[in-house]
Amino acid sequence: MARKTTAISAIPTKKVPLKKRLYKYRYFYVMFIPVFLLFMIFNYIPMIGIFISFFDWGLFGANEFVGLDNFKALFSSNLFWRAFRNTLFLSFVNLILSMIFSVGLAVILDDLIGKKFKKFAQTVLYIPHFLSWVVVASIFTMFLSPQDGVINKVIEAFGGDSIYFMVDKNWWTVIFLLINRWKETGWGTIIFIAALTGVDQEMYEAAKIDGATRIQRILYITLPSIQNTILVVFVLNLAKVLNIFEPIFVLYNSSVLSVSDVIGTYVYRMGIINQDYGMSTAAGLFKSVVSLVLVSMSNRISKKVKGEGII
Amino acid sequence: MDDKFSFKSGHRARAVYLIFAYIFLIILMICMIVPIIKVIVDSLDPTATYGINLWPKKIDLVAYKHILNTKSLYRPFFVSVLTTVVGTFVGLLIVTVTAYVITQKDMPGQKLIVKLILFTMMFNGGLIPTYLTVQAFGLMDSIWAVILPLTLSAYNIILMKSFFESIPGTLFEAAEIDGCTPIGIFLKIILPLSKPALASIGLFIAVTMWNDFFHFQIYITDPLWQNFQLKLREMILSESQVGTPTTSAMSAEMLKSAIVVVVITPFLVIYPFVQKYFVKGVTIGAVKG
Repeated sequence: MARKTTAISAIPTKKVPLKKRLYKYRYFYVMFIPVFLLFMIFNYIPMIGIFISFFDWGLFGANEFVGLDNFKALFSSNLFWRAFRNTLFLSFVNLILSMIFSVGLAVILDDLIGKKFKKFAQTVLYIPHFLSWVVVASIFTMFLSPQDGVINKVIEAFGGDSIYFMVDKNWWTVIFLLINRWKETGWGTIIFIAALTGVDQEMYEAAKIDGATRIQRILYITLPSIQNTILVVFVLNLAKVLNIFEPIFVLYNSSVLSVSDVIGTYVYRMGIINQDYGMSTAAGLFKSVVSLVLVSMSNRISKKVKGEGII
Repeated sequence: MDDKFSFKSGHRARAVYLIFAYIFLIILMICMIVPIIKVIVDSLDPTATYGINLWPKKIDLVAYKHILNTKSLYRPFFVSVLTTVVGTFVGLLIVTVTAYVITQKDMPGQKLIVKLILFTMMFNGGLIPTYLTVQAFGLMDSIWAVILPLTLSAYNIILMKSFFESIPGTLFEAAEIDGCTPIGIFLKIILPLSKPALASIGLFIAVTMWNDFFHFQIYITDPLWQNFQLKLREMILSESQVGTPTTSAMSAEMLKSAIVVVVITPFLVIYPFVQKYFVKGVTIGAVKG
């Protein structure tokens, strides 16, 4: 193995016969087998299960092939379209807000002169990210409770009436978006802060000499310098946009279903609760396909904008 | 930018900006931390839930004593600890091994393996097919149904791969000349050099395991294998008390707060030690894409 293979690995690969290369990497194949099997079981075999959406699937297995009937039923269902609209609205607004808040906060943090304060601020701002959604939901349900919640105590102290935040349709959306920002804004900055440390400081100096204001420097130097990172984060998040589930699941309730039911929760109720596997799988498949279209679209846009794709 | 802070005429605009930036950040930090402090205070102070105070007027550990005496919480706590410990170990093993395999650029099939892993980020069979597959493999009511899908994170694998790629390749060549096998290189060179990545990705996996609710909700029906998050959720929803009825000294909120504190404490204890590795561990891969 030793000397000869080292010499081989330095030579461009194609000249080495496939057999020798296969032999050289034999250990790696053995190492990868268990992981390969796990990927098959948890990711690829379930993909075959998509055929369920073409069957009328009862408690005792596939009853009958129904072709596109599940999809027809799904697309004529108001509840499904409501969930689809809510998914798009909640996750896109959430994504846009997260980009604005995280980039903005990263720019401010990067500007600070006190190193110790900066470190401390980052430590504090990252904490909420590590709490589970169940914990976050528990904390805020207590916080916003109409009887004993702090917020309502403050409102009452100023002479207002207490608000039932979590069961009021208008308030729920606002609260949901705010809680998401509370949890993820700090953590969202981490990647942009790293990108900002790579920005050429001489450009700032030059701009200053030319009399550029702070806002101009941010608009014309800072943001363009990290636009690749912004794009990468955006596309990666776009892939997950329709998968929104857990934050909704722990925060929604029957009185705000009309504004909070998303495809994820719809699929869960149809599949796990009602055991309508056919319809549920059809809804899930529709979601996956739309996700895939979104990602390939944004990948294509990124190719046009900066000459290379992300995935 | 390392301008000095001063109020001289040329620096005035920057000074004003910085003052506002600091004030803004301090307010933001208070917003982030107040809900957490409030929960801690509520768990200690029997009078707190009926006020706006952020400092306990009176400290009473009755809620924590109640939790300690509630045997039905022991088992979920143990399940959470077990999944976190086993999951982190298995997760790091899977992530490091896979990352090591896909850094072998001239290994036949390497590109295919990378594509296979990346594709799982974009497309999946969906809830029901996955559920039925897990069921078919007999994994229902087993902690493996929770641990394994969470460890197969394409994102963590890519982070780890980028970290490995930042290690100078000459080190491997030297080791190969000394007769080191691939497994030897992995154990003796790569892993010791990857401590920041192992620490931060390890913490991410641990937090994911400790915080998992969704997989437990779906795959675990046997109360014996419920975890702490599931128990907390159940309690919040049912508004019922854990085990015995509460005494007048302890409100329902107080007990809930105390359970939330117990759930978040392990993380708050480990966090400061690992935090310094985050930026290094997370961003090396992410910035490159």
